[in-house]
Amino acid sequence: MLYQRYIEIGRVCYIRLGDHAGKTCVVVDMVDQKHLLVDGPETGVPRCVLRLNQVAITDLKITIPRGCKTKKVRVELTKANIPAKFAKTSLAKKAAAKVAKANLGDFERFQVRVAKTLRNRKIRTTVRKMKKSS
Amino acid sequence: KQWYQRRVRGVLNYYTNYYYKSNLRMVAHKVRNSTLPGGVPKLSRSAVYRKRALYKRAKVQVAAVKVDVASTKTKQVQGEKNGGNRQVPLQKQPRFYPTVDSKKPLNNRKSPKPTKLRGSIVPGSVVILLAGVHRGKRVVVLKQLPSGLLLVSGPYKINGVPLRRVDQAYVIATSTVVDLPALPEIGDAIFKRKGKPTKNEKEMFIDNTTEEPKISAEKIALQKEVDALVVPAVKKVAMLQSYLKSKFTLSKGVYPHDLKF
Repeated sequence: MLYQRYIEIGRVCYIRLGDHAGKTCVVVDMVDQKHLLVDGPETGVPRCVLRLNQVAITDLKITIPRGCKTKKVRVELTKANIPAKFAKTSLAKKAAAKVAKANLGDFERFQVRVAKTLRNRKIRTTVRKMKKSS
Repeated sequence: KQWYQRRVRGVLNYYTNYYYKSNLRMVAHKVRNSTLPGGVPKLSRSAVYRKRALYKRAKVQVAAVKVDVASTKTKQVQGEKNGGNRQVPLQKQPRFYPTVDSKKPLNNRKSPKPTKLRGSIVPGSVVILLAGVHRGKRVVVLKQLPSGLLLVSGPYKINGVPLRRVDQAYVIATSTVVDLPALPEIGDAIFKRKGKPTKNEKEMFIDNTTEEPKISAEKIALQKEVDALVVPAVKKVAMLQSYLKSKFTLSKGVYPHDLKF
């Protein structure tokens, strides 16, 4: 199979672009080939229409009927424990890491730089040792 | 304005007296005036006077307190036949009057205020110098001097920046703060430049070969004293010494407006 994840009713999506960038939402209905009706009661995304390219699909999915109300979406999300599951995904972790990096102060950036240098130095010396011994 | 008076909304500069009702609630007296569109009171002061029947109220006369101010003083005069003393006015009339009455400029009541220190700069905060010989260096702020400038020290031992004055406009404040102990009193006086020696006719042809040292011994001693207090405070924080040693640089993909300091 070429694709593992599909856009379908109940698919949890991560919003990449737009006003609500960085939040997750659930696909509630398809408007046309390029637009989705989306709702994210737990993450503060209002029920709105998004373009397909604004959104990235995640592994997570809930069962909801097409066009169901926000209340139902919220209930199903909490039942499936989607917020906690999403936080474990690598996408969520990468997004959080990006935010953390942007919020680093000058001293913290210096510390990160030093840590990187030391780590890379260690890696290079071990690789060199391994090359020598082989 | 008295404690029993409240401002009335809708009428300019109007206060009503309040009175206590039987249930101890404060109730306003009726307002006799109102405002027309444009902020103009409807009734004039005399009209309101009439309406409120203030003529019926007892007028309280407060006697003007007269203060006797001495305008002359007695001065003793020498000489037998000069009458012994004379009355001299305290305020003398001017000897000259200008031919044309010129306009006096209005009183300037502006007074210089001490420079407001940025909220992000505190004694002990690490700061990046943006201009001067030491640009790019990270430095510790000791305090704000009375002149408004920041007193800054490398410390000299760590990055070669001595006790220096820096304007806060030429500085990026970082969020790092060093816990400084009590420092000796330092003012703007140490930084005052010594004037050039005035040319004296006698000394015109004499060479002044003895040059004064560029940094006074007093400054060097003060620097050592301050560093002895600041350097241990810096060493307490991990990696802070090497941080102060390093310089702030921009590289590819680094945009200052996106950075948080």
